[in-house]
Amino acid sequence: MKLTPAVLTYLKVLILVAVVPAIVGFVIVLAERRLMGFMQVRLGPNRVGPKGLLQGVADLVKLVTKEDITPAQAEKAVYFLAPVLAVIPSLTALAVIPFGPAVQIGKIKTPLWVAADVNIGLLFLLAITSIGVYGIILGGWASNNKYSLLGGLRSAAQLVSYEVPMGLALVSVLLMTRSLSMVEIVERQGRLGLWFVFPGLLAFFLYFVSGVAETNRNPFDLPEAESELVSGFNTEYSGVKFAFFFLGEYAAMIVISCVAVTVFFGGWLPPFPSVAALKFLGVIPPFGWFLIKTGFFLFCYIWFRSTFPRYRFDQLMALGWKWMIPIALANIVIVALAILATPGRSHGLFVLSYIFGGLFVLMYLLAKLRQRLTRRERLAAAPASASE
Amino acid sequence: MSDERPISETEKGLALRTAEELRTAALSAAESVPVSLHPPTLFDVQEMELNFGPQHPSTHGVLRLVVRVDGEKIIETKPDIGYLHRGTEKLFETETYPMGIPHTDRLDYVAAATNNHAYCLTVEKLLGVEIPRRAQLVRVILDELQRLSSHLVWLGTSGIDLGAVTPFWYAFREREQILDFFEEYCGARLTLNCMRIGGLPFDLTAGWIERLTEFIDDLPSRIDDYEQLLTENRIWKKRTVDVGVISGEECIEWGVTGPVLRASGVEWDLRRAQPYECYDELDFAIPTRVNGDTYDRYVVRVQEMRQSARIIKQCLDLLEPGEVRGKVPRVIKPLAEEVYASIESPKGELGFYCVSNGTNRPYRMHVRPPSFINLQALPRLAKGHLVSDLVALIGTIDIVLGEVDR
Amino acid sequence: MALKKWLDKLTLLDLFDGLSVTGRHLFKKKVTIQYPEQKKLPSDRFRGMFRLDEERCIKCTLCAIECPINIIYIDWHNEKNAQGKSVKVLDRFDVDLKRCMFCQLCEEACPTNPKSIWLTTKTYEMAAYDRNESLYLDIRKLTDWRAAPNVKPFTVVEQG
Repeated sequence: MKLTPAVLTYLKVLILVAVVPAIVGFVIVLAERRLMGFMQVRLGPNRVGPKGLLQGVADLVKLVTKEDITPAQAEKAVYFLAPVLAVIPSLTALAVIPFGPAVQIGKIKTPLWVAADVNIGLLFLLAITSIGVYGIILGGWASNNKYSLLGGLRSAAQLVSYEVPMGLALVSVLLMTRSLSMVEIVERQGRLGLWFVFPGLLAFFLYFVSGVAETNRNPFDLPEAESELVSGFNTEYSGVKFAFFFLGEYAAMIVISCVAVTVFFGGWLPPFPSVAALKFLGVIPPFGWFLIKTGFFLFCYIWFRSTFPRYRFDQLMALGWKWMIPIALANIVIVALAILATPGRSHGLFVLSYIFGGLFVLMYLLAKLRQRLTRRERLAAAPASASE
Repeated sequence: MSDERPISETEKGLALRTAEELRTAALSAAESVPVSLHPPTLFDVQEMELNFGPQHPSTHGVLRLVVRVDGEKIIETKPDIGYLHRGTEKLFETETYPMGIPHTDRLDYVAAATNNHAYCLTVEKLLGVEIPRRAQLVRVILDELQRLSSHLVWLGTSGIDLGAVTPFWYAFREREQILDFFEEYCGARLTLNCMRIGGLPFDLTAGWIERLTEFIDDLPSRIDDYEQLLTENRIWKKRTVDVGVISGEECIEWGVTGPVLRASGVEWDLRRAQPYECYDELDFAIPTRVNGDTYDRYVVRVQEMRQSARIIKQCLDLLEPGEVRGKVPRVIKPLAEEVYASIESPKGELGFYCVSNGTNRPYRMHVRPPSFINLQALPRLAKGHLVSDLVALIGTIDIVLGEVDR
Repeated sequence: MALKKWLDKLTLLDLFDGLSVTGRHLFKKKVTIQYPEQKKLPSDRFRGMFRLDEERCIKCTLCAIECPINIIYIDWHNEKNAQGKSVKVLDRFDVDLKRCMFCQLCEEACPTNPKSIWLTTKTYEMAAYDRNESLYLDIRKLTDWRAAPNVKPFTVVEQG
């Protein structure tokens, strides 16, 4: 068979669909439980296989061999469709993410590491992840359980609300790249020699926090929390269907991390790509850099989960609508001003990144200083400790 | 019903015959929006009665709450208890006084030594015996260790209820060490049976004091860790500030004691107000806050942990060799009288009311459980809040069902 | 003051502090004990499985009287021994382990020195698959644990 671009694309899609769920099942699930355990001064699961490495296999076998229950009055077709609708958009979104640079094969320069280099990549991503919401709504409704329905609706409301600040944060990045293509975004960061996280620090925070809310993770995981009365949309699901929901959530986590890496952290670029002194960093292949950065964000997801309490639902919505959207809009204006100040060139972006970076560091140090200074006051106000 | 005496409210209630009358009467009595009798349309208030069942993942025991909600807002909460009733007070009547001590362990099973202590104090008051000084000091040490242990459990489970999963593990790491101290001292970790009428069963083992000193010196930095995770955390504050506000006067009306009372502004601690054992010699502060919301109760309990460490340190310094068990007759037959003695347990005022009839078995031994009385304030606390806050509120009044149901 | 609080809120200082606590604990020593390969050593006073010494026992039944749950069943009768003296002989000394609270009141009540019934055996592994057979210990099982297959001795402490 001739290796036409179409065949190559099919091959890449096959690899993505086969590899990513496997990574999710075997690596992320174990990593989450082990890392959370470590942060909680205990060992995570370490019985199955050496150091617990086969825990994912055990989980997979357990879920697949579980009894497949369908509630009596449930709407069968929708009940079957909902988990599928939760998984497929997340996996599809991975098609437009560039995992590595364009490669020279013979005389052709092909974007080898991207499954589909569409020139509306970012828009495609936003659109596709919105479809994932259907899986949740339908899952909650088809279960014929009023608590599942409430949980599903809450989750859907949360997802839809947080798509707005996510989109707005990405819009401010669009102003910097002037292109929706993901490949182009990474290459522009390479050309500028500047990761977009620096001028878009605010945008990055907004994007990542919205991303955590999008995937129903702590601190925004009220719809699926165990200690809440409403157990969430996936109460009635067991076995493979539950595995699909589970997989969909983790795949969405991967998508958000990958997009954050691509758009803000330079994708497959090594740090400071234009600084000659750091050329030795090129010894790690670009895909390796991508993996390292994505791994860091997945670690951040796990870190957040083990640290923060969760928001109540109304507080969650208030945060999204009353704080994040106005800040996102303000951010767009700021970035636009920075770019307009030096039209044609990108010097404004550098200035903006210095301003943002400097402001953040300065304010953090001031806050820490204030904390140190008031520590004596706080200790004096509270009764003394055992050392008197 | 034609009689001359005035008809009481209960009789009026019983006179309502039809289901509709009962329903409308109950609803209007609960100050809800009047519900008309036609099928509800989209804009009508639709109340649901939810069952926060005896089994739920918040680890507080078998408590059933029947909650009437309007959407997410709670209108009324009714605790339904009794799932853990074991007839402890009846058991006391069938056994002699010393045999009752292991049963008291199972009341507030998270802080067993304080239960033993209250029971022993009651019987000692009946008998009129004096406890040797070393026994008093060690009893205070054990009490305060239990206070630490109980507050650590509260901290962990409160955190988990609100989504913060790690303080649980850190708190239980400390609690394991405390339980190890108890195991070394009396042989058991949870159901201690560590006090006897007249003093203590054993003296301290070798090295216990040194290891305890080391632990207490480490403790403030561990508490700092918990505080760093939670006290200033904006999400924690959002979940706990202004949730379940109760004023000092209302606390006194409901009979609520313990950290709940102290967080509402009333500085009442039995260790200061009615000192028992050697508390009058010790120097410690009573943490008090004024707002009476969940955040204040959290701060009060964390500060109490620090104060407990302080008390233990002082007691360890004051320890001198001596007897640990006073002179108590082999068969305990108090005179026929009644007595009430109470102590400040981690949950509140734990008291035993004992009526003796001259034999070696009590005629009546009644427990005043702080969790039971604090639980009565839950409907008042929960009114107007959301269902998600209910979990926080159950955690903040810190109930143990063993005490509530006995 | 308001400005400074606003500063804290803006830089998410409280959140970073929380993250630093969990981050630090990532590298601290873990407290897990890998049971059953590693076991915690119970203390000397640990109240575990029962053991009875039939020779030391004077059949006073004080332990049965003191037990709060009445799970010690003692039967004895008088017999003439070789010297012609009347001695007590144990017919039955049963402990119903299902109901036992391990409160140690029986050991405290025992008047012999060293005690004839004791719990400080450091043994806590006595789980069984059936309740009524394995968890009802008769005198054979109490004096010699080899007759009680579900009891796994940790350390056999001979003296009470």
